[in-house]
Amino acid sequence: MNGFKVLQVQQSVFADNDRRAEQLRQELKTQGVFLLNLMSSPGAGKTTLLSRTIESLNGKLKIGIMEADIDSDVDARTIEGFGAKVIQLHTGGMCHLDAEMTRQGLEALGTNDVELAILENVGNLVCPAEFDTGAVKKAMILSVPEGDDKPLKYPLIFSVCDVVLINKIDVLPYFDFDMERCAANIRTRNPAAKIIPVCARTGEGIDAWTDWLCNEVTAWQKP
Amino acid sequence: MHELGILSSLVHTIEKIVTEEGLTEVEKIVIEVGELSGIVPRYIEQCYPAAVYKTFMEKTALELVTVPGIVKCRDCGLVFNAAANDLRCPDCSGQNLEILEGNDMIVKELVCR
Repeated sequence: MNGFKVLQVQQSVFADNDRRAEQLRQELKTQGVFLLNLMSSPGAGKTTLLSRTIESLNGKLKIGIMEADIDSDVDARTIEGFGAKVIQLHTGGMCHLDAEMTRQGLEALGTNDVELAILENVGNLVCPAEFDTGAVKKAMILSVPEGDDKPLKYPLIFSVCDVVLINKIDVLPYFDFDMERCAANIRTRNPAAKIIPVCARTGEGIDAWTDWLCNEVTAWQKP
Repeated sequence: MHELGILSSLVHTIEKIVTEEGLTEVEKIVIEVGELSGIVPRYIEQCYPAAVYKTFMEKTALELVTVPGIVKCRDCGLVFNAAANDLRCPDCSGQNLEILEGNDMIVKELVCR
C-alpha cells in the first residue's frame, strides 16, 4: 500500500465540543456565573421574554445577554433599551452556536459584573439542541400559535431542555391549542421538564419563571 | 449549514490526531454517521470539499459508513431499530426511549503515513 497504514481511531467528532463545553462550565462555576441557553423557533418571543425578564428581575440579578443571529442587530438594540448589558453575535450563516463561539461571546461580553448570562440562540428547533454550549441549564420557548404537537415533531429539543416556557397564552382562545395535550406531549419526551405557561407581552406567569431563574442562580453560586 | 460546522470540527479533530501521531499524509478517512445523529450523510458529502479546501486534508478521500440507530424502550425494555419502527416501540407503542447506539459521528480510521 505504498507505505500507507490504517490507523484505528474511534474518536467522536462531537467529543471535541463536549470537552470544550465542560471546561467552560467549570470556569463559569469558579466565577459564579450562571449561563442559560435559551432556544426556540424564530418568532416564538425570545427577545420579548428577555425584555420582560430583565424588567421583572428589576436589578435583583446582574444580567448579561448574548444575542445570536445570522445577521442584524435589531434584537440587541431592543434589549439594550431595557437596561441590560448586551452584545450581538453573528453566526455568519451557521444555524447554531457551539462551545467555542459561546466562549468568545462571553469574553466579548465581559463576565466580571455578570451573575446571569443568557445566550439567546439562533431561532431554530433542530441544530441548537444538538450542541452543548457550556450552559448550566437549557430553556426553550414554545408559543401557542406553533401548536401543541411541536414536541412530537421536534423531539430532541424537548428532550434536552430543563424548562419549557409556553408563551403567548393571551391568544389561547383564538387557537386550537390544548395546554394539557401539549404538556402530555412534552412529558412523553421529557418527564423531568418544568413547564411554565407565560405571556411575555402582558407579564402573566413571568414571576414563576423569574423565581425559577433566581433559585437556579443561587444554587449554582453555592461553592 | 449544520453539516459544514460539523465538518470544520472534524478537520480540527483529525488535525490533532495527525500532530499526535506524527503523520505526514492522510489518504483517506472513514467516518461513521449514526442514523439518530441528526446528520445527513448526503450533505456531509456535498460540504466536504468546501470544508477541506486549502487545509492539509484537501486531497484526503472521504468514506462514510451509516450506523443504525438502536434504542431501548424505557417502558417494556425492548431493544429495537428506531428508524425502522418510526421511533415507537413495536411491542408496547412506548415513545420514552433510551438511545443505545447511532447518535454520534465517529472518526473510525485513517489511511495514512
